[in-house]
Amino acid sequence: MLSFEGVYRKRGGTFLADLIGDDPLDFWAGRFYVGVFGVTTIVATIIGIAVIALSIAAQGDGDLLRVTIGAPLRQYGLHFAPFYQGGNWEVITICAIVAFVSWALREVEICRKLDMGYHVPIMFSFAISAYVVLEVIRPLLLGCWCEGFDLGFTGHLTWVSNTGFKYMNFYLNPFHAYGVLGFFLTAMVLAMHGSAILGTYSTNADPNVETANVDNFWRDYIGYSIGELGIHVLGFWLAIYTLIMSDLCILTSGPWVKDWVEFWHFSIPWFH
Amino acid sequence: MATVINRRLPTTIARPGPSPMEFPEPSEMDSSDLLGIRLGLPIQIPLLARMGMSTQTGLIYLGTWGFLSTLFFFAGLGVLTFAGIQQMQGNVPLLIKYFANVQIQPPEGLGMAPSLQQGGFWQINMVLWAASVTCWAFRCYERCIRFSWRPYLFFAYVSAILLTSTIWVFRPLVMGSWAEAPALGLNSDIDWAQNFSVLWGNLYYNPWHMLAIFFLFGSTMLWGMHGATILATAAEGSHKEVAEIKDMHSGSHKSMLFWRWTMGFNANPKTIHDWLYWFSVGVVLSSAIGIITTGPIVKDWYVWGVDHGWVQQYGPMTRDAINGTPQKPAVGINAEVQPGIPAGQGGY
Repeated sequence: MLSFEGVYRKRGGTFLADLIGDDPLDFWAGRFYVGVFGVTTIVATIIGIAVIALSIAAQGDGDLLRVTIGAPLRQYGLHFAPFYQGGNWEVITICAIVAFVSWALREVEICRKLDMGYHVPIMFSFAISAYVVLEVIRPLLLGCWCEGFDLGFTGHLTWVSNTGFKYMNFYLNPFHAYGVLGFFLTAMVLAMHGSAILGTYSTNADPNVETANVDNFWRDYIGYSIGELGIHVLGFWLAIYTLIMSDLCILTSGPWVKDWVEFWHFSIPWFH
Repeated sequence: MATVINRRLPTTIARPGPSPMEFPEPSEMDSSDLLGIRLGLPIQIPLLARMGMSTQTGLIYLGTWGFLSTLFFFAGLGVLTFAGIQQMQGNVPLLIKYFANVQIQPPEGLGMAPSLQQGGFWQINMVLWAASVTCWAFRCYERCIRFSWRPYLFFAYVSAILLTSTIWVFRPLVMGSWAEAPALGLNSDIDWAQNFSVLWGNLYYNPWHMLAIFFLFGSTMLWGMHGATILATAAEGSHKEVAEIKDMHSGSHKSMLFWRWTMGFNANPKTIHDWLYWFSVGVVLSSAIGIITTGPIVKDWYVWGVDHGWVQQYGPMTRDAINGTPQKPAVGINAEVQPGIPAGQGGY
């Protein structure tokens, strides 16, 4: 328990309490809040890990960096595959999505308990969307679960590499380029924000003075100081932008565009 | 002799949001620097306030380092434009049309380029680039000291320079040819990255590349987490981080408890910025190691990965001759129970 934690740990205000008037799962386990969605998260996680363990044991390769649980073969299309030929992948994917969504809903419950905004679960939903697009929506559009990515440490890297070459040159995918831009921009803005706080906190000056100092620094250095609140608005939207671009990047490859080199072979009529 | 004006900036600013009157006049000298002036006018953009950002743009410090950096930058831009126009034989509309495809190639070998067209433009540009970013780094350090900042920002900027100079300078030096560096141009960067990966046996299996991507995606994730947490509790002032580090209030309490209850671990208003800072610096530092090891030390990351048991061997190893390792039997599962990747289709 943190020194101030007791003030905030209060029962009530959960979905289940609203629904049936009482929530037997409304408690903390050590540091963790449990709640009904904590239980669904744990159940889905345990089933998923059990399937992963079974699959690894069946493959007989104890190297966890190398072992890979592949997506179903093309012949199974959008149907259930035999367990060791992709059925395990399907179960793991379902468990993962259940666990992720439960986790997001658990975050919503914690937000309600603390009476704060829903920004974190909204952000996490965008992260979940990347997984769902990769493993469900794009395979559905292409009519085969085999289009999902293989699960494994280096196995998923092999999938990314192969998928990139399947569409000729993934670097020429404009959404990929905008996504990479977003990733690098978030890293840069993150470094700037971290530097500003770590560089200036606790200089034994009045915090208002320190903040004015930060503003004056950025105005001198780049001509604009976005402000204490503004920098977090910028970071929030940069992260969402990056995730949206990542979604579009993989969603367009296959269903709409077969070849990103060919994609650029267009001519603008008035530009000759 | 010029009068040295070393006036402290006004420091009493009423919250919230500074007003333009409290900032120095554009003509005011900031330090003993001959060019230590602030340029421009404070322009208010009210729309920015609607997004929670401060409205004032403008007043940028020049300084000797800033002046030199800008000078070298525009000189480099001029050389690039000139080289592009010359490549298109003076046809400027053609240059605009094929802007993304214009590239200024580096020369072969480590000596001076034989002519401007065969690498000379590239070399002049790289010298100007080096001068420009170095001056900007000095400017960054000088401003940090002026505002009594610990030079975190300077170190982060130098780390970024370290990565770019590893790609454009150090690795070509080790490999013995400037041609190892990317050409200057939009698509040439992309092509270099693609070819570099293919040439050295798939960079995805480079563990430093893995670490760099971990930090890169982690940076985006941390911005998502930190930005969302602060916006969710900003109503209670958690965004006033410098003040909250000294004296926490309910906004920071809720931010910390949210993550403690969610994942069993929480940072605090100070330590979250340690995480942010070192994740973003980690991107460029691990990238630099990944670049400098590719070629001088490791010739083929796929072979390296298979040799070290990281990567499944898909089909025969055609590149074993490169580092002299004998062919190994396929490890892991066989093709019948390995769904997704039929043997011989992945890797090579």
